[in-house]
Amino acid sequence: MATLIVDHVHKTYGDTKAVNDVSFTAEPGRILGVLGPNGAGKTSTIRMITNMTIPDAGSVTYDGRTVGPWSQRRLGYLPEERGLYKDLRVREQLVYLGQLKGMHQKEAEARTQHWLERFEAAGWGDMKTDELSKGMQQKVQFIATLLHDPSLLIFDEPFSGLDPINSDLLRDIILELRRDDRTILFASHRMEQVEQLCDDICLMAKGQVVLEGALREIKQQFGKNTIIVGFEGDDAFLDQLEAAGAVRIHTRSTHRAEMRLLNGTSPRAVLNATLEAVDELHHFERVEPPLSEIFVDVVGRTQSEERTSVAA
Amino acid sequence: MHHPIWIIFKSEFLRRVRSKAFILATLLAPVGMVALFALPAVFTFMALDGSDDEPIAVVDESNRLLPSLQARGGERFRFVEATASREALADSVHAGVYSGYLVLPETLLQGEGQAVFYRAEGGGVTTQARMQSLVNQTVQDQRLADEEVPAAIESILASSTSVEMRRLTEAGDQADQTFVYSLIGYVLAFTIYFAVFIYGQYVMQGVIEEKSSRVVEIVVSSVRPFQLLMGKVLGIGAMGLVQMITWGVLVAGALAAAGPVLMLFIDPASYNVAPDASQEAVLDAAGITIPSLPLSLLFWTLLFFLGGYLLYASLFAAVGSAVERVQDAQSLMYPVFIPLLIPLLVLGVVIEDPNGTLSTVLSFIPLFAPILMVLRAALTDVATWELIASWSLVALSFVATIWIASRIYRVGIFMYGKPPSLRELLRWITYRP
Repeated sequence: MATLIVDHVHKTYGDTKAVNDVSFTAEPGRILGVLGPNGAGKTSTIRMITNMTIPDAGSVTYDGRTVGPWSQRRLGYLPEERGLYKDLRVREQLVYLGQLKGMHQKEAEARTQHWLERFEAAGWGDMKTDELSKGMQQKVQFIATLLHDPSLLIFDEPFSGLDPINSDLLRDIILELRRDDRTILFASHRMEQVEQLCDDICLMAKGQVVLEGALREIKQQFGKNTIIVGFEGDDAFLDQLEAAGAVRIHTRSTHRAEMRLLNGTSPRAVLNATLEAVDELHHFERVEPPLSEIFVDVVGRTQSEERTSVAA
Repeated sequence: MHHPIWIIFKSEFLRRVRSKAFILATLLAPVGMVALFALPAVFTFMALDGSDDEPIAVVDESNRLLPSLQARGGERFRFVEATASREALADSVHAGVYSGYLVLPETLLQGEGQAVFYRAEGGGVTTQARMQSLVNQTVQDQRLADEEVPAAIESILASSTSVEMRRLTEAGDQADQTFVYSLIGYVLAFTIYFAVFIYGQYVMQGVIEEKSSRVVEIVVSSVRPFQLLMGKVLGIGAMGLVQMITWGVLVAGALAAAGPVLMLFIDPASYNVAPDASQEAVLDAAGITIPSLPLSLLFWTLLFFLGGYLLYASLFAAVGSAVERVQDAQSLMYPVFIPLLIPLLVLGVVIEDPNGTLSTVLSFIPLFAPILMVLRAALTDVATWELIASWSLVALSFVATIWIASRIYRVGIFMYGKPPSLRELLRWITYRP
């Protein structure tokens, strides 16, 4: 199994610089999460990795060679916008897509059968794709991604639009693929999914990488600056803490709040304030910040830097 | 391992050819066409064959015209002598006893006045013309008889001189079938036009479906966009070719069967031909020509259809790649549609003068050649080198259009949202992938 290296890649569409000097590495046996808001350049970068487009400058290499038709055969790609041929029968569709990946017909037929059985979908083989329910179509889409036993996998917003059963199924598949030492790239703007699955992350904003590294290290680097409280009683103290500039609250519900310590506020100060105000405290924890906070932090910083440089 | 273009070609071809819609269209279209042309003729014939019509009452004031009018009228127009007053006749017509009544004034025999035919219902252009000619002939004969004109002069007046057209060829002179070949050329030209247009639309729809269902993303992460485009264009082209050849065989079969079938309805005796005369002789005597299509013409028709299809299909594909819905393609279609339409506007010019400068030049312009060269080849003997040269130009232009189309296509399939203007579309040609 092999490493994917994106090296100082640039891509411009018309007047828009979609990808600006992006570099990252995806190691086999690990999951790399490429994160960023819509328009950050994730899909443009993926299109260069899949060899659908070619970088204006820089290079994308897999297993030591520049990507091309040869790497497309080893690639399994689940695009953000998913779709299949509506009027083809399921089996025929999968065999065709498998053949496009360079499989022989017999081999593609056998693998299709294997995967249909594995997903308890063998009975659908002769149904037309648009006769299937949405959830069934999603399974067929997974099979199309995995059919040719790819060693490099790219999932672009894989969980969007999936029903809960298929979400779990896909998560299991992704983890199984990681155990097999495949190289997995996972693009999303949903931070909580990335936190659950990824080993490494690459944060993108406005066509650039703003933060890259192992998820655990990055979180440690930001320190345990976040407090979670669970309580019964009046929550007005939270507003007082925030007004005093001691914390910033990310998430808040009637009996629970997650907040970031600001201006050197000690955890103990928050604990004291909480104990004074609430009837009962049943949870108090000091943790690393959630990825979404790190993201807001980093992107906010780059954006304000940009603003300064524009002003200058 | 097979080439991607071959895999795509096979899939596109098979999934269409085995669909019920294709099989029905292929088998029923010729039936539909024949019905479209034949049924009106059959109905007209049946309407004319109205021997069960009510008789026509004749008020013959000359008392000399009725017998010969009756003889001429035969089964179709049954003339009877009027025995009642005009008012009573009108009532009888309304009551349906007579289909009408005809008044022949005595002055007709002096060459003055006119006959009047009264009837309750209008309509029947053929009936009017027949009635006109019956009365005219009857009056003319009677007047000639009255003047005791010699039989020789009578026969001169009755005769009409026709001109037979014969065409000089290297093999000697032969019957000129300009009219028949114009008709064949016309049919072939329209067939190519419709085939290119309809199969081109199939390609466009295929591209749009692939794009709007987003399956194209998966396909082009496996093969080059050019390979997808090429496989699709060739696959649908092969489907078209199968359809055209099937129709060609059906038409050839119908023409081969037409002679024997017609013979069943024709009595050789009624055309003064010996009962054992050959089929050609009988049909010739009956004034029926069954066109024979030279094989070389069919061959070139197929080749030019294929060339024209490939030329236009790649452009249709480029337009399809730019939009997500068929409706959005309309405004982008004009640059493709208009060159395809122009040959139809000059069909008349080419038929009138197939070897004229304009016809010749137009039949070498690749975008027009598929229709116009086939039309010329049907009308006149076009030299083989001309056919080859014109077709080669079409083939070369295909290389150019598929190159342009694939550059637009590989950008277009990733463009979602507002459909582009024509100017933007053309700018995509210069984009890097």
